[in-house]
Amino acid sequence: MLPKADFQSWLKELSGQFDIFGPKENGKGSVDWQRLEGGELPDLAPGVPKGSIKTFFFPQPETLLEFSARPKQEDAFRLKEPKETDNPRLLVGVRPCDARSVVLNSMPYEQDPYFQRRRQSVVLVGFACSQGCSTCFCTWTGGSPVGTEGLDLMVFVLEEGLYVESVTEKGERLLEGASTQRQPNDSELQAVQKIRQSAPSGLPEAMEPAPRLKEKDLMALYNAPFWQELSDSCINCGTCTFLCPTCYCFDIQDETLKGKGRRIRYWDSCMFPLFTLHASGHNPRGEKVKRVRNRFMHKLKYFPERFGPLSCVGCGRCVRDCPVNIDIRQVMKELLAI
Amino acid sequence: MNDTTIKKGEWEPKIIAFLCNWCSYAGADLAGVSRYQYPPSLRIVRVPCSGRVSANMIIDALRSGADGVLVSGCHPGDCHYISGNYYARRRFAILKKFLEFVGIEPDRVNFSWISASEGEQFAQVATEVTERVKKLGPARHLVKEF
Amino acid sequence: MSTMNQKITEELRQKARQLLESGQVAAFLGYTSGSVPMVMRPFVARNPEDADRLEWNSFCVLNLANYLPALLKSFEPPRRPNEPPPEGPLPKVGVVATGCWSRNMVVQVQENQVQRERLVIVGVSSRGMVDKKKVLRIIENRDVNSVDEQDNTLVVKGPGFEEEINRWDVVRDNCKTCIHPDPVIFDDMIGELHGDRQIPDRFRQVEEVEALSPEDRWKWFTSEIESCIRCYACRNACPLCYCPTCFVDDSRPQWVGKSIEPVDTAIFHILRAYHCAGRCTDCGSCESACPMGIRMRILTKKLQKDVLELYGAEAGMSIQEPLPLTTYKKDDPQDFILTESLKGEKK
Repeated sequence: MLPKADFQSWLKELSGQFDIFGPKENGKGSVDWQRLEGGELPDLAPGVPKGSIKTFFFPQPETLLEFSARPKQEDAFRLKEPKETDNPRLLVGVRPCDARSVVLNSMPYEQDPYFQRRRQSVVLVGFACSQGCSTCFCTWTGGSPVGTEGLDLMVFVLEEGLYVESVTEKGERLLEGASTQRQPNDSELQAVQKIRQSAPSGLPEAMEPAPRLKEKDLMALYNAPFWQELSDSCINCGTCTFLCPTCYCFDIQDETLKGKGRRIRYWDSCMFPLFTLHASGHNPRGEKVKRVRNRFMHKLKYFPERFGPLSCVGCGRCVRDCPVNIDIRQVMKELLAI
Repeated sequence: MNDTTIKKGEWEPKIIAFLCNWCSYAGADLAGVSRYQYPPSLRIVRVPCSGRVSANMIIDALRSGADGVLVSGCHPGDCHYISGNYYARRRFAILKKFLEFVGIEPDRVNFSWISASEGEQFAQVATEVTERVKKLGPARHLVKEF
Repeated sequence: MSTMNQKITEELRQKARQLLESGQVAAFLGYTSGSVPMVMRPFVARNPEDADRLEWNSFCVLNLANYLPALLKSFEPPRRPNEPPPEGPLPKVGVVATGCWSRNMVVQVQENQVQRERLVIVGVSSRGMVDKKKVLRIIENRDVNSVDEQDNTLVVKGPGFEEEINRWDVVRDNCKTCIHPDPVIFDDMIGELHGDRQIPDRFRQVEEVEALSPEDRWKWFTSEIESCIRCYACRNACPLCYCPTCFVDDSRPQWVGKSIEPVDTAIFHILRAYHCAGRCTDCGSCESACPMGIRMRILTKKLQKDVLELYGAEAGMSIQEPLPLTTYKKDDPQDFILTESLKGEKK
């Protein structure tokens, strides 16, 4: 248990060891992940910040290799690993849905050394949601507003201060460094219990669509009639894919300039025109309806068939920021009705 | 007379010059043949017409590390393709003002009309553009680096 | 519900139903409400019953002209890329249009993306659309459960609060400076034409930036686009951005990098805005679609100002007038040309 001021000084101490990031107002009217200095507390308005934390595990661009063709350079014409330029990072103010997304992303990225390396070096300090918002639906996707999947430490904000619980060994070791912490008293424990029990109640009822969707016939879902109307509104931008914590597609290319080069990977989107474009010029998903259908089928059917859970944590960013109000919750309902 | 030499150790700007094949490129050639001196900072790219030069190309030159850009074509009314330079004139007028608006120094991107017989004028323009870009220093804003 | 909007909605539904029932159009493009307040869903009504789902209010922010080329093409029989379209009349599409949307349709006709005969345009004079981001700023980003629009106010309700906001306060910047709210082409009209508006300082946002020093302008520009995630919502919402291969996807040469590095993002915005020079009608879809709140409209507004000052032209006002950058005059201004300004100095 830590009073607020002590939590701040503990963060300040940790900022010697880590680069600390948290949600903060970004000067453009939204709350997004920014560097927090000197023990600054994150902005904890209900709901999720604008962007997800996938940018810390899977940045864009991420340099995979470097190379040079400059003859005078000693190591010319050899592929080099990029230099490690980032300090270890600590993310404070992570919502349980975002933390869970890291666990979901590491399923397809199990063999990805870049992702796994960052996963080891980033510490996640989560804040439980005592209040949901109109666009969140984590309970539908198998998550919970007080879930600890993916977190190293979990914090409950109480009136008296912050109740900090360690979830992993990494978190435990860090918590030991908070010298002014004390054990919580009974009323504080009760307050935490209350949050744990009442938090999910504000959200739509848990539906557990994953097992039911897995059982449905793939072709029946694929040929459903509602895809056409859904895709009529879509402008194929990329907003949903880029803000989504569990959209993990990337593209790789080499950038070269003046005899030097690097191979980078950057976020790609199934909505972009180059996605699935063959070298012949043919695109099997050339029409809008096929792309929209593919995105939802991937997240709600193909991914669960392969890995188990839905590739969606219910954060609601796509619902909040889609320029034409395409709603994945409606898609889930339509699919379940088939 | 402007100083056209680059002294040893002095920074030399790199200026990409898009010259139209029929007038400006010939004019540059004439400058060379007539032994008009001008600083060696221009890298010339021959294009069929100034109308072929798009904003993408000009920005690409800056992105790749050019300190300045010069686009030169035939005088209005003399375009080999009749109206290419007329369209180019409108396009470049808008582009120049726009680049200035976002904060790119106006002297980095220059346009001129030079005919095939204007060898001396080409040397003068090349010198003038080099001077202006030298004053601005190396390009800082749109340079891609990694 | 605002009485003005209700009247327009009812008339729109009636007209759309009529057009669909008579078979005059294969589909009618409009808006319907979705699952989230303050965002309307573009909607294609393909049979008369669907016409009852059409709605009109001040949150219809995306430019419907954006959907037209693809929608029209979807009603043509499939053909290979190089085959010409078949002979004979092709199915038509009905669409509702305000001033800027109709001007973009004019631009599309001039650029051969859409044939005028295949459109049935139902015009509506715009009162200005509301900027959802402005509303959120006023209520300090609190969660919104519902927004009830009255004729001149918005009643915003959320958990634990209810606030009444003056509608004009939260109208989009481009709508506030709009001088052409009436549709410039239409086959049918809902309500009256209100005529052009007089806004003496409509380029004020641009002039404010022009007044800064070059270094400050660069600082303003880079800070404005700093939060860009390169989602391309602006490009996709724009009715002018229909290139089969966008310059972003060109690879030999590659004009702009694909990641969010500041130089590449700056180049993307510079070139995208520049491609709209002389064609942009300031519909504001780009800004409305942007999830990060970037005000890229100021760039295209500057281009509009320059085109107007240099060539006296505005995009999309009439089908007969050529687009400013596809035409020329022998005596176009050329004082920016180095050789001309040097000649002047010599004199």
